[in-house]
Amino acid sequence: MSEQNTVKSIGTMKTISGRKYRGTLVAGETGAAFYEKGKDAPLVEWKYTRLHRLDNIRRGGTSSQVTVILKDDSRYIFDLDYGLKVYNQMDKNWADKPVTTKTRGDELHRLAELRGEKIQVKKHLITRRHPNRSIAGDIGIYLLLILMGLAMAFPLIFQIGASLKPLDEFFRFPPPVWPAHPTTDNFADLFVTMGQSWVPFSRYLVNTIFITFAGTFGHLIIASMAAFVLAKYQFPGGRAFFAVVTTCLMFSGYVTGIPNYLIMSRLGMIDTYWALILPAFAAPIGLFLMKQFMEGLPTALIEAATIDGASTFGVFWHIVMPNVKPAWLTMIIFSVQSLWNNSAATVIYSEAKKTLVYALGQIQAGGIARTGQVAAAQVIITAVPIIIFTLSESRILETMASSGIKD
Amino acid sequence: MQTQSFGSRYLTMRREKMQHGIQLAKRNKVCYLFLAPYAILFFTFFILPIATSIFYSFTYYNILEPARFIGFQNYINLILQDEVFLTSVKNTFVIAVITGPVGYILSFLFAWFINELPKWLRAIAVVVFYAPSISANAYTVFSIIFRGDAYGWFNAILMEFGLIDAPKLWLLDPTYMMTILIIIILWMSMGTGFLSFVAGFQGIDKSMYEAGYVDGVRNRWQELYHITLPSMKPMLLFGAVMSITSAFNVSDVPRILCGYPSTDYAARTVVTHLFDYGFSRFEMGYASAIATILFLVMILCKKAIAGLLGRVGT
Repeated sequence: MSEQNTVKSIGTMKTISGRKYRGTLVAGETGAAFYEKGKDAPLVEWKYTRLHRLDNIRRGGTSSQVTVILKDDSRYIFDLDYGLKVYNQMDKNWADKPVTTKTRGDELHRLAELRGEKIQVKKHLITRRHPNRSIAGDIGIYLLLILMGLAMAFPLIFQIGASLKPLDEFFRFPPPVWPAHPTTDNFADLFVTMGQSWVPFSRYLVNTIFITFAGTFGHLIIASMAAFVLAKYQFPGGRAFFAVVTTCLMFSGYVTGIPNYLIMSRLGMIDTYWALILPAFAAPIGLFLMKQFMEGLPTALIEAATIDGASTFGVFWHIVMPNVKPAWLTMIIFSVQSLWNNSAATVIYSEAKKTLVYALGQIQAGGIARTGQVAAAQVIITAVPIIIFTLSESRILETMASSGIKD
Repeated sequence: MQTQSFGSRYLTMRREKMQHGIQLAKRNKVCYLFLAPYAILFFTFFILPIATSIFYSFTYYNILEPARFIGFQNYINLILQDEVFLTSVKNTFVIAVITGPVGYILSFLFAWFINELPKWLRAIAVVVFYAPSISANAYTVFSIIFRGDAYGWFNAILMEFGLIDAPKLWLLDPTYMMTILIIIILWMSMGTGFLSFVAGFQGIDKSMYEAGYVDGVRNRWQELYHITLPSMKPMLLFGAVMSITSAFNVSDVPRILCGYPSTDYAARTVVTHLFDYGFSRFEMGYASAIATILFLVMILCKKAIAGLLGRVGT
């Protein structure tokens, strides 16, 4: 728990079993804890259950209450006087129904007291997350996950193995998954082949980077603006528009490819970067995720800024956008992934405008003599999106938590 | 008399509702301004193509000559005369029926299992399961694994164990093509839906589980059915939409691995068929008819699944 953004309340905690503890309640970014006076380890701990982050903490009501408001407008009220009840506003009748009244700590203390012992309070009172789980089931799940994980990873490992194989090992029987003498020759050869091609390799790279950057940037701004009004304002047509976007999530790639080609040729965009960039601006998945995520922002935040005289654009730019950074990142990554993987074979035909994936695809068509180079090219194509995803996984999952479609 | 007064009351109500709508629209003028850039692009690259597609499906159009209206002829030809189309429908149907639901259930189950792992392990597991579908053409490695000669890994393994005598053309023989395709597509099925599930599990209010425990939920399956599934309905629907999309849009995998066209059209799917007519033969009208049928089937599927999910956990 970081020291910033914490609120402390000193008081006496009463538990269901009637015990009283004098100490401090600390509420912070990720959860709250009650520390008994003079002890370092918390007596009871809560973690906020939603993925949404903290919005505001304040000492409220009576002096012994701490209210924690999360970004999704749910609030937890920690009340010392009433036996440390934790209220969660997302719950129906939240005002009179505590979510947690009895902690596992209480239970342990009660049992220990019955036995006439005194137990040492450890840092984590709750060791098993789920009490109603069989051990056999847990072991089964671990085994299954390990097996399936290996099966899922095998082709990718094989791919990496293939890219490191010297040529003679490609024609060894039985073919090894991992080479006996790994070499980076294939990568070196790949760059030589790329360097010899009519259009320099750097050109493909620049094309890809330009398309990816421009497409992603435009998509982020344009789709976020649309998502903002769809999520936070009621206006005729808004709901219907969003429903259409949700339906269009289903139509991807080649299905709209043909009429798309016709429209682009009408607009004179064939064989220009625009043919890739402009459709990427309007990708439905980005708008969809952004809108769902923005719905989790408290409306009060926007109302307050509006009353303070901010324009709609001001609210969007200074209030909303900084608060939805995880969603930005997710949009950026999805957009980069699709642009990076776009070989653009149908809308771009001049060599100097083609993308990296397309160029690597041409090498792949080079036949058996280039097997090693093909594998090396494939490793490069595959590695980039996987690395990007790995680095940003937690933010992406935070966004995906609000990805559901309500029907 | 009674009906008339009811009718006029209804009209007044409608008029008031409309006026209210117009007022709301006027007050939120700026909203339309915000929506406009996206809406224009979206209209141009998503709605217009679909509308155009529907329009051209009733015409004969080969790009060079102007489109000629031929009514339902394209559809009639598709269903009654085009045997390859029927093969492709059969293949797509087999792929969709197997990989759609199985992939969906697998993504859900694995997301659920992964959720039981400690945090650091969970992060690794998510990458391992999601990796095959991140990169659009990671599957090309299967062309080495299932290569038709003895240097193909799968052939070599089977020959080592004496299960086969001579290498088999896994990707070119119509007998094996579909099975292998289905395995590969299942390998790639942990996509966006899977991510949505993983995140959905983490978002469930933990106090619900505690309450469930107090109320006598005894094992993980009861917990899944009574607590987890009902709170994940929106994610389940999102996952289903993504699953339908990928199941019906299969085209790259068979095109690149099994050849284009594949032996005896054994690996032809609706989208490959569409690709063939659209980009190889330039029969845009015909290809549009295929696309239109695909749109309709996908929308119907989504409706059906939304209906099914509505009954989960009750």
